[in-house]
Amino acid sequence: MGFFSLLVLLVFNFSFELGGAALHEIGPGVLWSAFVFACLLGLNRSFADERENHSLDALLMAPGDRGAIYLGKMIANLVFLLAVELICLPFFALFFNLSPGFFLLPLLGVLVLGSACLSAAGTLFAALSSTMRLRELLLPLLLLPMIMPALISCVKATGLVLDNQFGAALYPHLKMLAVYAIVFVTLSLMLFEYAIEE
Amino acid sequence: MPDDGLVIENASKHFASFIALQSVHLCIERGQFVLLAGANGAGKSTLLRLMAGISRPSSGRILIDGKDPQRDAAARSAIGFLSHHTLLYDDLSAEENLVFFARIYALESPRQRVDEALERVGLSAHRHRRLRTFSRGMRQRLALARATLHNPAILLLDEPFTGLDQPARTALSGQLRDLKQAGHTCVMVTHNPEEGADLADRLVVLRRGCLCHDQAWKGSATDLATTCAPFWDGLR
Repeated sequence: MGFFSLLVLLVFNFSFELGGAALHEIGPGVLWSAFVFACLLGLNRSFADERENHSLDALLMAPGDRGAIYLGKMIANLVFLLAVELICLPFFALFFNLSPGFFLLPLLGVLVLGSACLSAAGTLFAALSSTMRLRELLLPLLLLPMIMPALISCVKATGLVLDNQFGAALYPHLKMLAVYAIVFVTLSLMLFEYAIEE
Repeated sequence: MPDDGLVIENASKHFASFIALQSVHLCIERGQFVLLAGANGAGKSTLLRLMAGISRPSSGRILIDGKDPQRDAAARSAIGFLSHHTLLYDDLSAEENLVFFARIYALESPRQRVDEALERVGLSAHRHRRLRTFSRGMRQRLALARATLHNPAILLLDEPFTGLDQPARTALSGQLRDLKQAGHTCVMVTHNPEEGADLADRLVVLRRGCLCHDQAWKGSATDLATTCAPFWDGLR
């Protein structure tokens, strides 16, 4: 996943004149494009072990709440995605001539909220598509339209942070991301056992 | 209708327009060893998966000691499931697999329970080997350890002898006999009359999704083949 994200950043580096004005125009979009593609790669593998070993049946028979399976997978996906993002950030800074500054902490906040949204929705759709034959094709088809609102807020929020605008303009996007993550986690906990049943 | 044991109340299962099971009604008392026989595609594995709570019936219900395993955690913890798939993780060792499931079932002293389970199935010496290095017989023994780790009252067996050589079959048969004598309720799916005929005390036959025969059983494999022959037309 990390290598794929770096590859995407590298491709954009050679495609566009990065640095300077490009940082504000296309930087956030480049960053989140890399993260979304990496996320899709990771999500396709979310339930691969359970599918290959048929061990999801054993997890379904366990006495706990089935939503715990979703939560465990979602947190694992979130951790992996955050790790990929932290690896990519220095390279992003390098390609876009970005110097470390006060924006780093708010940027991390946007990354965490955005990744939570991707993981929350992505894990549910990964579970749904894991039982289908064309899962690698279906997952992006199902997921990308659903995460579009969150993705727009991620890109806008990242742009504002990189422009050092931390005030009233940023708050609605952060609120949108937090609400999206909460709504999707709640919905997923309710729907997960129906998504994976035969 | 008994409050204990396993009750299948008019359960049906449809997959789109395909009817896998049609209004199956069955009561299994505690301690019984039931042989669930039928041709390929009769619905045996589907019925077993409904009993295990892995699959949800399209209509009707399954009750374990009066509780629905889809909704009740205690009902699910009374079930052990052994199929021709191990339901274990190939990249983990035997010990890691069992410790994982011991923790999922919130067992007290998980390491001790795992040690005992490995000892019971004769795999203590191989505890640190990854599952993908195991032979078919060793995998099935570890799967039996997983299925019985939490000492379930009801053991569901889906063609457990598949792919085993004769010594492994004999060993598994011996372990199932021990479980029966210990009072576990067992439901075993088979399409091979040689498997389980000497263990079972009840025979249930499915044909094209319907329960067509149910009798007390005490006979040999030959007797089983003769009894089931009239219902063996139903390849789907």
